[in-house]
Amino acid sequence: MVRVKSRYLLCEIHVSDPSKLLLLEDRAITAAVKDAVTSAHGDYGAAQCSIGFSVKYVNAHTGILFLRCPKSSYRLIWSALPFITSVERKGRRISCFLSCLHVGGTIRTCQKFLIRYNTQQLHRMLPKCKTQEEKDQVRRAILSSSTYMLKGKEHKEERD
Amino acid sequence: MQPAVFERVVVKNSPVYQYMKVSLVLEQAQTKLTAVELKHLITTGLKSLYGEVGAAFPFDLLTFEEDTLTAVLRVYSRGLVRLWSSITLLGFFQQQRCAFRVLQVSPYLLALTGNSRDLALDS
Repeated sequence: MVRVKSRYLLCEIHVSDPSKLLLLEDRAITAAVKDAVTSAHGDYGAAQCSIGFSVKYVNAHTGILFLRCPKSSYRLIWSALPFITSVERKGRRISCFLSCLHVGGTIRTCQKFLIRYNTQQLHRMLPKCKTQEEKDQVRRAILSSSTYMLKGKEHKEERD
Repeated sequence: MQPAVFERVVVKNSPVYQYMKVSLVLEQAQTKLTAVELKHLITTGLKSLYGEVGAAFPFDLLTFEEDTLTAVLRVYSRGLVRLWSSITLLGFFQQQRCAFRVLQVSPYLLALTGNSRDLALDS
């Protein structure tokens, strides 16, 4: 047996109005990507895109997307991504643009990259905190999420 | 006059251009069209099949005979397949059915001067 090879595109969606970010949904994004591929690469591109293309994961809070496409045609989809200017959801237009952060062969490598990327962003943004209060707030937020993970580990150990 | 000396030329590089001799068959044979209209027709065909990226690919219409609707196209070698497939799938010209017949394809323009399929050997 030969594995079916595909490419995973890790994209970030930038929305002009942050309150509309939560409206994003995988089906709306699929339609927007397909429209962009059709206009850029025609019927041939649309047909290539219809086989094995799917939106694997959408995080509406952080605006992170995982797109899955077959390895043979990921370039068509990749090159059409910058032409997306809006996503339509329930008759409302959400103007946005996509930026591709990483192209990976598996979801696992994409996730690893995403964790590294987010750490980098945090390191870049922390020095910009103006007051001590802001810094403490961020620190507490990080600590609360990590202690939650630690607690989870302890629970597991107790069970063992 | 000296007789032509046989000379064999081998080109090892891949050709830059490919030349295509095509003829357009229309449902109503009396319809006239100009070279500009023909080029526009081919470009629309490229755009519908390969989108804006395909429509941006350069190709040239070298000659066009309006009475026989035969044209010679020049295209970069890597765009040959795309051009060929898009003109094959073209079906309409101004709401009437049409078809492209690809008569000859060659990397040398000189090869399009004669067609071995048209030779009358018995006479």
